[in-house]
Amino acid sequence: MTVEESDLVLVKRVQRGDKGAFDLLVRKYQHKVVKLVLRYVRNPAEAEDIAQEAFIKAYRALPQFRGDSAFYTWMYRIAINTAKNSLASRDRSPIAYDLDLTDPEESHSVQTKLQDPDTPEGMALTEEIRGIVNSAIEGLPEELKTAIVLRELDGLSYEEIAAAMECPVGTVRSRIFRAREAIDKRLREVFEGGLGRTEEMV
Amino acid sequence: MNEDRPSSERHGERDSQLSAMFDGELSAAECELLARRLARDEVLRGQWTRYALIGAALRAERGVALHDRVAWRVQSAVAQEASYGDSSGDAANSAIRPATVVPATSSSAPGRWIRFARPVAGAGIAAGVAAISILWLRAQPGDPQLLARAEAPAPSTQIVLTPEPGPVPILAATPKASRDTASEAAVFSATPEPSSRPSFAPPARLANYVVAHSEYSGPLSRRLALSGLVAGEPAEGITMPESAAPAQNSKPDTKKVATDAP
Repeated sequence: MTVEESDLVLVKRVQRGDKGAFDLLVRKYQHKVVKLVLRYVRNPAEAEDIAQEAFIKAYRALPQFRGDSAFYTWMYRIAINTAKNSLASRDRSPIAYDLDLTDPEESHSVQTKLQDPDTPEGMALTEEIRGIVNSAIEGLPEELKTAIVLRELDGLSYEEIAAAMECPVGTVRSRIFRAREAIDKRLREVFEGGLGRTEEMV
Repeated sequence: MNEDRPSSERHGERDSQLSAMFDGELSAAECELLARRLARDEVLRGQWTRYALIGAALRAERGVALHDRVAWRVQSAVAQEASYGDSSGDAANSAIRPATVVPATSSSAPGRWIRFARPVAGAGIAAGVAAISILWLRAQPGDPQLLARAEAPAPSTQIVLTPEPGPVPILAATPKASRDTASEAAVFSATPEPSSRPSFAPPARLANYVVAHSEYSGPLSRRLALSGLVAGEPAEGITMPESAAPAQNSKPDTKKVATDAP
């Protein structure tokens, strides 16, 4: 089974009336969608608003989704259109990423703007999470670290990772799970109640 | 068999499945079962959220705040939306219960039409029966009182609106007529005649009045009364004043009432 097919299981559940399944899709893709929208708007808070609007549009259009493309691809199109419409309605131009930024100062300025979180609390939380995840990764055994990096950073499938690491697919599945468990344990220790709902923390 | 294994081992297997499902590496059947469990297990959904967070943190997605504020807002907004399809079974037990009901489909429209058409059809049938009854009654030849009353509507209301003291000579003597009068009272009582207009006797009553007074009245007034009777409406000037009731005026009237009374 692929990611597309796995998402389709959730999509079909939403179409049968399970709103919780849509919540799972949102939780899974919210960061990627916000990152995508940030290519069109400068402000991360505004990007979150657009991402939120895009997800709601997707929910309303979900009965028409037939699975001809992957849910994520379909969601991407909705998010891009929502961002473009938002820009058009506010009569603003998107950030020109293809500019030839030869000046290091100018390049640094653009990157700094992109990294600006909406609130100091949000920035602190984000940095804390990154720190925990990175330190947890550093503490992992080499085979676990390799498996999780190949999966999350390079986007390889279990079969491809198994081929790269010369081990069975089941072993890859176990290694990735153990890596996630170790990182998740550190996150749970820090945030106690978990990160299921960080709105209150922020 | 699962009950024999320790809880931590079962949870480890379930969490391993969750990790595989997140990566799209779980079989379809297992994926469906786990999705059902996720629908009602907030702890498992929190774990799902953290798996997404770990990936975002590892990719160091610049500018992306590592929290689930977007998901929180979307969940709140979606809770106000209508849910799709059949939300029975495990979906109905989801943590996010549908806030609204799916509107009725168009397939139920014929049922609605039938429901609304029934009383209309019933009223139509009742009106038809009533019209046939009226026509039939009007076509009855043997009852001259009914015919006379049907052709002279105004005086019939006067009978009801002007009660007379004591026994009413003619109407009291004919039970059928009094029953009809009662039914007409219900119909015409809402539109009484103006009080300034002189009250006229009904044709039947007028006929009796003419017969009773024929030997005492003069030829001119008798002719006028007879012509009014033939024309179906009382002649001008021939009125039935309350004080001029036949029973009070003459002896023959009293006899007539006595003979006609039941």
